[in-house]
Amino acid sequence: MDSVGTMLKGVASLVSRVRKLDPGHLRLGTQAPQSLAAQLDNQVSFESPRAISCTNENDPAKHEEKHEGLHYNLPLQDVKTVFPHGLPPRYAMQMKTFNEACLMVRKPALELLHYLKNTNFAHPAIRYVLYGEKGTGKTLSLCHIIHFCAKQDWLILHIPDAHLWVKNCRDLLQSTYNKQRFDQPLEASVWLKNFKTTNERFLSQIKIQEKYVWNKRESIEKGSSLGEVVEQGITRVRNATDAVGIVLKELKRQSSLGIFRLLVAVDGVNALWGRTTLKREDKSPIAPEELALIHNLRKMVRNDWNGGAIVLTLSQTGSLFKPRNACLPQELLGKEGFDALDPFIPIQVANYSPKEFESCIQYYMENSWLQHEKAHTEEGKKELLFLSNGNPGQLERLCAYL
Amino acid sequence: MAAPLVKALLRCSDLTLGVRSAALRFPGLTQVRWSRYSAEFRDPLIDKEYYRKPLAELTEEEKFDRELKKTQPIKAAPSAHTSSVFEDPVISKFINMMMKGGNKVLARSLMTQTLEAVKRKQFEKFHAAASEEQANIERNPYTIFHQALKNCEPVIGLAPILKGGRFYQVPVPLSDRRRRFLAMKWMITECREKKHRRMLMPEKLSKELLEAFHNQGPVVKRKHDLHKMAEANRALAHYRWW
Repeated sequence: MDSVGTMLKGVASLVSRVRKLDPGHLRLGTQAPQSLAAQLDNQVSFESPRAISCTNENDPAKHEEKHEGLHYNLPLQDVKTVFPHGLPPRYAMQMKTFNEACLMVRKPALELLHYLKNTNFAHPAIRYVLYGEKGTGKTLSLCHIIHFCAKQDWLILHIPDAHLWVKNCRDLLQSTYNKQRFDQPLEASVWLKNFKTTNERFLSQIKIQEKYVWNKRESIEKGSSLGEVVEQGITRVRNATDAVGIVLKELKRQSSLGIFRLLVAVDGVNALWGRTTLKREDKSPIAPEELALIHNLRKMVRNDWNGGAIVLTLSQTGSLFKPRNACLPQELLGKEGFDALDPFIPIQVANYSPKEFESCIQYYMENSWLQHEKAHTEEGKKELLFLSNGNPGQLERLCAYL
Repeated sequence: MAAPLVKALLRCSDLTLGVRSAALRFPGLTQVRWSRYSAEFRDPLIDKEYYRKPLAELTEEEKFDRELKKTQPIKAAPSAHTSSVFEDPVISKFINMMMKGGNKVLARSLMTQTLEAVKRKQFEKFHAAASEEQANIERNPYTIFHQALKNCEPVIGLAPILKGGRFYQVPVPLSDRRRRFLAMKWMITECREKKHRRMLMPEKLSKELLEAFHNQGPVVKRKHDLHKMAEANRALAHYRWW
């Protein structure tokens, strides 16, 4: 009897915590799952299914193994500053439909968080590579890490998709700095705008340590802030690529001083060492190293600096000239890329475990996303598990029309 | 809109074996739509619950049915007919009608994208509405689809009847399957023809389905026009002889 009493007390404290959450999320009429809540349903008439799939712990620094499989809420204000460009398009659609951004805490992200919490900033930056099959959640794990670092006040250098820099570029200019290389003004200026949104507060604190000359009439003095370099790149689109190069060089140089900690997050890093689909005017193909953006990014990803970490993601989805079933680092990076990134720590991102799958389905049911009446039954769930094989991307696409 | 399935063609009586059907055969008339299966083939039954019933629970008729199935030949089940719990015969029929050139993959993906579009639009409306109206907003894309098609079904149709050298449009009752077919056909034709060149099918179809669900929009208007014509021609109703 006293076990029931303690359970009731626990549930009552849950009630007060649940009620402190958004009142709009308490939905009447959702099915209570067969678990603790169902047993107490007769005595207490409210639902706590939110406790099954969501957790109140919204600070990534405090995520532990016990939070594995649970969703945590990202405040929409944070999402606008930290991820102006970084979220996958389907996730952005889901965010717009549900009016909230919830991310699942999973094992690879927890592992990476543990490593990041115990980094020694005197040692050279360690490279972590997230790899896995298509649709397993590599990009969203990267977003989890970026959110953690943003909360810890690191400087975030996030390239949302390196593949976008090696294909479909309308205007390629010959670089003024080095005649052999090519500039990409559009991509560089867009990236600089987003970089400014993410790292506003650091731009005035960091001072550049060298004089840079843009052209005959304009130059930037030693000691002026990084914000001015970024402004110059955004306003003068012709110099945007060079501005990016300067930003990367200065950040690399100054990260070891200890004023800030640097996180380099690149999604689709196999684009840096693959092939491009860009051609010169005489239709001869361009190699990635002839693009100034790629050249500077390659220098950033080398581990010859300290005071931060480098988290990379491989991606076959946007990659060029790679077969669809390639998912391992050796296959996607090629010999050149693998040697450049060696040594790195590989972290595999796998499909959902049964617990995570159940949690995902619960989350969808709480938001009333699964509208088909058969989707709430056991048969329906077994069928969803079979059709998606636990793959998060496939499950999301299946539940979208059910 | 002639009622009988069997249409008169040439006087051709020596068609080869195996071409028999369960329907009546009028003398001098040949079947246009025929099946490679002969009359004794049964339709397949795809139902997990039926086959999972243990032997003890079966009634006498069901036991007899099972014994009969062991000897009778059964037609092959079409590959689109699954034992999935999410399967819907109306949706399957609509997908088949949308299909062009046998590209079922494309037709099915268009249908799923339409259902997703309908769902997202309704969710947007739901979040924008006040809490009193939220109960009235339907978010299930399948109920919206079924209701929209039901709203587009005509009650009465017109048939061209030859009398005295002229064709008259005579109001005529329609069978259930003809009505369902007309509703789906009108919906698909509307979405294919009356749209901007750059607009994609899921977007247009989701818009039309939502309008039809609320009894508005061009497809319901076409149904009303048909009803008005039938009402205007009701004096000719006695030209019908069946």
